[in-house]
Amino acid sequence: MMHQAPTDMTVAAAGPRAGQGYLSLQGLTKRYHDFLAVEAIDLDVAQGEFVALLGPSGCGKTTTLRMIAGLVPTSGGRIVVAGQDLTAVPPHKRDMGLVFQSYALFPHMTIAQNVAFGLEMRRLPRMEIAARVAEAVAMVRLEGREDRRPAQLSGGQQQRVALARALVVRPSILLFDEPLSNLDAKLREEMRSEIREIQQRLGTTALFVTHDQDEALTMSDRIVVMSHGRIEQIGRPEDLYERPATPFVARFVGRTNRFTGNAHGTTIRLGDLAVRAATQRSGPVEVMIRPHRVALAAAGCVPADGLNSVTGIVRRTTYSGDFVQYLVDADGLTFMVEEATVGHGRIAPAGTAVTLTWAPADTLVYEAAP
Amino acid sequence: MTAAAISKVSGRDADFGAAPIALMLLVPITIVNLIGFVLPVANLAILSVSEVRSSGAMTGGWSMAKWLLVATDPFYWELLWNSVRTSLVITALTLAVSYPIALYLHRSTGLWRNALLVMVISPLLLSAVVRTYGWIAILSDQGLVNQGLMALGASEPVRLMFNLTGVTIGLTEILMPYMIVALLAGLGRLDPRVEEAAATLGAPPWRVFVRIVLPLSLPGIALGSLLTFVLAISSFITPKLLGGGRVFLLATEVYDQAMVTLDWPLAATLSIIVLLVFGVALALYGRILRSIG
Ligand SMILES: Nc1ncnc2c1ncn2[C@@H]1O[C@H](COP(=O)(O)OP(=O)(O)O)[C@@H](O)[C@H]1O
Ligand SMILES: [Mg+2]
Repeated sequence: MMHQAPTDMTVAAAGPRAGQGYLSLQGLTKRYHDFLAVEAIDLDVAQGEFVALLGPSGCGKTTTLRMIAGLVPTSGGRIVVAGQDLTAVPPHKRDMGLVFQSYALFPHMTIAQNVAFGLEMRRLPRMEIAARVAEAVAMVRLEGREDRRPAQLSGGQQQRVALARALVVRPSILLFDEPLSNLDAKLREEMRSEIREIQQRLGTTALFVTHDQDEALTMSDRIVVMSHGRIEQIGRPEDLYERPATPFVARFVGRTNRFTGNAHGTTIRLGDLAVRAATQRSGPVEVMIRPHRVALAAAGCVPADGLNSVTGIVRRTTYSGDFVQYLVDADGLTFMVEEATVGHGRIAPAGTAVTLTWAPADTLVYEAAP
Repeated sequence: MTAAAISKVSGRDADFGAAPIALMLLVPITIVNLIGFVLPVANLAILSVSEVRSSGAMTGGWSMAKWLLVATDPFYWELLWNSVRTSLVITALTLAVSYPIALYLHRSTGLWRNALLVMVISPLLLSAVVRTYGWIAILSDQGLVNQGLMALGASEPVRLMFNLTGVTIGLTEILMPYMIVALLAGLGRLDPRVEEAAATLGAPPWRVFVRIVLPLSLPGIALGSLLTFVLAISSFITPKLLGGGRVFLLATEVYDQAMVTLDWPLAATLSIIVLLVFGVALALYGRILRSIG
């Protein structure tokens, strides 16, 4: 198994400088009575960028999105788009497209009327409305269904109508609130790439709320991880995955091994085991190791210089097509190890004695939670 | 036999089982309706073509005299027109004052909503007679309104009773709970997300109302209007008390003919006409519902 060269944990995430984004959230706050739903969020999104807001249910994603759309009044902070402060502007003057989790189509209108609605509000000439509706309907592949009512369409089709309805007005920003969570798994994956493709083709700036890490990782230029109304980390998908800034991000994005231990410089004691990290620390720490960063070899193999190495016994082997997951007992700890099945001939059955190796840089060390 | 064929057969068996149960459940209501509605109506129909002496006693023979009278005497045409027009005006007024209340109720939540609902529905717990006397206390020449106006320097009381104005005011208030409840039921279709979607697409509040809220509340409006119209045209206590015998409507006339003049065949004829008006209103309601989709 290949290992990347150890990378600097402080690599700056791509993205506009603070306050310089096409969309700029500055200290955005929402308080419900004395409950802080969103706490002083700072975020800058470049024009044409696709940014996901990722976090567990109840962490304030929807509230943030609805504040941007103007549907929920803010309790503090500013919302700036293209240099213009929109914080106090009513929703119908914000020029944003919002795609709801529940689609929120107009049940009494046909598909064509649904899509035309935003253009009619902008008082465009009839001919242009017809042309743009046809174009948008074609873009989401719903030609021939223009005269149906929303109730006559499947969930996926309704979702595409909602997308067309928001896109057709060419909004300054497209906002999505978990738009795929009501679709089945296969359709969801199709829609991911469809939404991403259309967004890139039109160059629209997009903010996409989801609690699904796969969705966020596969669709976004950058991801904002939120927890309890606060931003945990902003970064490219690979930044979050390989260099999670906080234990929360490490746990929430991807699978991980979690241990607690004591650090002395780059050496960390995990019970009877001593492992090395790339960063200096001292005192109680939380240690995370990504299962796909650990290599598994037959016991007795001599590890390359500088690698961490642990011997253990395979307790359970789970084959899941594109990778194999092992649970390995080693010195009183249990390691989860994942190996890609590609080019990997042998699968170690339970009971096999193995050696686990990983690079010090892949030992992610965090201060222990107080 | 294949599994699919088996499940098909058993599915059909289930259908056979369901139909008789549904029919059986309909039996009690059918019996109640036969005794409580169909029989009396048939009775009225027979009564309306029964021959009577001038004393009011039945001869046992048949006569179309009352139908002919009703068809040829302009008084009865005017009576019909008055009743329909007054009921339509009352329906329109009730709708106008109830709609904002229903919309507000639809949007309120929690304890406040429950409190408001109780306030809206509680008048139904009070007899229309009592509520009408309440209105008399307000609308009479010595009532609250006129006392207020006199105190403000009006020289003569405004006539708010013993005319159509009083009947219209009283019935509008008395019928509001029905309208509000019907509107609320209809507004259940109105998802706040749909209104928000319209707003984000550039619709200012009044256009959201015209393009989204109003069309989606049409079924409730139709139902509430039907209910109110039917209740208005058949109400008799309020027109009787607030009209003071000077307002002539179908329902009050039926009462007068049946209880005062003792002309039962004429009362029966007028009752059947009220029933025909119901039929027309119901047919209209059906058409409106279908056109809404
Ligand atoms: N109208 C409201 N009143 C009170 N609390 C609310 C309201 N809306 C949301 N919240 C609370 O704010 C928090 C964030 O909600 P939300 O933004 O919907 O989370 P998410 O979309 O991330 O699941 C939740 O704890 C929720 O209970
Ligand atoms: Mg949400």
